[in-house]
Amino acid sequence: MSIGKTRPPKSRSRRTGSGRAGRELLSALPWLAPTLVLIFAIVLFPAGYMVWTSTRDVSEFGVDRGPVGSENYQRLLEFDAIPRVLVNTVVWVVGVVLVTILISLALAQLLDKAFPGRRLVRLAVIVPWASSVVMTSVVFYYGLDPFYGILNRALVDVGILDQPYGFTKNTVSAFLVAMGIAVFVSLPFTTYTLLAGLQTIPEDTLEAAQVDGAGPARTYLEIILPSLRPALAVATIINIINVFNSLPILRTITGSIPGYNADTTTTMIFKFIQAERQVDTASALSVVNFVLVLVIILIYLRVVRPMRED
Amino acid sequence: MTSTRTTVRVGALALGLGLAVSACGFGGDSGDDSGSGGATLDLLVPSYSDGTQALWEGIIKDFEAENSDIKVNLEVQSWDNINDVVRTKVQSDDAPDILNIDAFAGFAADDLLYPAAEVVSEDTLGDFQDSFAENASIGDEQIGLPLIASARTMFVNTDLMDKAGVTAVPATWDELLAAAKKVSALGGGVYGYGMPLGNEEAQAETSIWAFGNGGGWGDADKITVDTPENLEAVEFMKTMIDEKATQPDPGATDRTPLINVFMQGKIGFIEALPPTVGEIEKNNPELKYELAPIPTKDGEPVTLGVADHLMAFKNDDDKKDAITTFLDYFYSTDVYMNFVTTENFLPVTKSGAEAYDNADLQVFLDALPDAQFYPSTNSKWSATQGAFQSLVGQIGQGKDAAAVLKEIQAKADG
Repeated sequence: MSIGKTRPPKSRSRRTGSGRAGRELLSALPWLAPTLVLIFAIVLFPAGYMVWTSTRDVSEFGVDRGPVGSENYQRLLEFDAIPRVLVNTVVWVVGVVLVTILISLALAQLLDKAFPGRRLVRLAVIVPWASSVVMTSVVFYYGLDPFYGILNRALVDVGILDQPYGFTKNTVSAFLVAMGIAVFVSLPFTTYTLLAGLQTIPEDTLEAAQVDGAGPARTYLEIILPSLRPALAVATIINIINVFNSLPILRTITGSIPGYNADTTTTMIFKFIQAERQVDTASALSVVNFVLVLVIILIYLRVVRPMRED
Repeated sequence: MTSTRTTVRVGALALGLGLAVSACGFGGDSGDDSGSGGATLDLLVPSYSDGTQALWEGIIKDFEAENSDIKVNLEVQSWDNINDVVRTKVQSDDAPDILNIDAFAGFAADDLLYPAAEVVSEDTLGDFQDSFAENASIGDEQIGLPLIASARTMFVNTDLMDKAGVTAVPATWDELLAAAKKVSALGGGVYGYGMPLGNEEAQAETSIWAFGNGGGWGDADKITVDTPENLEAVEFMKTMIDEKATQPDPGATDRTPLINVFMQGKIGFIEALPPTVGEIEKNNPELKYELAPIPTKDGEPVTLGVADHLMAFKNDDDKKDAITTFLDYFYSTDVYMNFVTTENFLPVTKSGAEAYDNADLQVFLDALPDAQFYPSTNSKWSATQGAFQSLVGQIGQGKDAAAVLKEIQAKADG
């Protein structure tokens, strides 16, 4: 009856357990090796090289002139626009991910219901995913061009605008347009992840809730959302990483805006390379960028605790 | 327990993904295939027009037919990318043997280039026009090989001028301001002066104004952006913007799209290039326009001259003879003039100038004696140019001209 009786002696079990694990690991190595080599070659080595470059003085044409310690990082600290760039980055990541998740929750709920033509609607949601991000951005960029963009033309013809507006030429509007496009291209993946999550919720749980007299709002908040937690966690983390590192949308939409008011840390890395010709400073910012995304994700895991299984 | 382990696992996943996404762009192989006797030359060029690739391919085919032991590998890149491509190649020890680009001083400062005298024959070296040879030298030694020249001049839409009641083509800043305001007042998506200060080529437009006030950006030893002459010029640009004599949002408008708008007949005045003549002929031959000297503060003629260069990298001394053979072939008058005229540029060799025959572009050739250049032999110029491209447009977004010039000067000094 008592639980204590059936438990084997603690110390022995641990020793044999770890010994077996070690042997198992060793025998698995031949199968793991190709993956490990790949991870080293395309993930760890480039990342290490990036960290190394961030401590070197690299000429604008790529010649390594020796170590400089933390000078590249100091140059970053002294860069006037850094506070604005960091604020932009936070607005960009939090705004895009939050709006994407909210819209996707609604879309997933809609696509989970049976209705005529559901297959077509599901296909339509995939389209932005299937097309290249640069292409999507360029289409919007030209559509919003004040001289020959059809979106601008339509707004003027309908009477919403008196004259074409340079949506992509002014800092705030261009940044908002870029965020809108980022949401648009993030929706398919997020919606489908959540839809998959929705479909794992057992029908009888929902029926039980109904029998117990829970209304739609209560069912959603107390049954569906908690069951979606793992799917939401995956969707959010992948989106944070993607959006944080996204270059093409901002590059296309806000690329022609002078100054640094529409830059995130990721586009700033690019400007350090292209305009300022400082590969070394760009590497330092890349390292900072990487640490930042880790911190954001750790905060998310800490605060929201999406993997809690209680 | 389970939850912490899962957290760690997701954390590790995030770490891996973060690494994978943030560390990309690794390339570079150093293939060295110069055989005995023969040689393979890597030639990296930017794309001047849609026809550039075919033009070089033709030149290389004819060259290889005459010199069967030398093979030339052509790589064409867009102007947007070529700087990055070269940098990556140099960094991974895979520099091209011959490169066509605007500025050579940075490469020379890193001691990557052969002096011109080592890679072309004396005849070829002596054929460059003096001003261009000087512009391609550091100290007394010529490093770059001038390839093509280009100059700016003002394109005037005469229809719009008539409609707005402007009787004479403006020659000074004040006349230009008055005329452009009249054209802008026509409304309906028509604007007076096209001022492209977007990051494509903001330094060119700014230079035209600064040179028009006796200003400039310094010399091989020192970059001087923040000077009284330059400040006065940039302040006048800001006046043009503030008084709505230009198109809206000049700070974020790139040159190529804006020249397209001029071709559509919606801009009164714009500074443009020799190839623009051919593009108008092709895309909108109906357009009524004429070419005029660039307006300056007091009406003295000036233009921005730009010369692009060929340069040879010190990769392998065995290839030097092959490089010389190829470059001498390229600069022979027929081959060279075919290149220059097909691309609609101006020749930089003495024999080329004599052979040149194109009435449409004569006004550009006439402007060349008054041309001023970027201080491109200063190794700080590339960074300065980058600073102009990303910062000068801020005057179109309400920022003070003096503050913008100070910011650019700081980048040039840093």
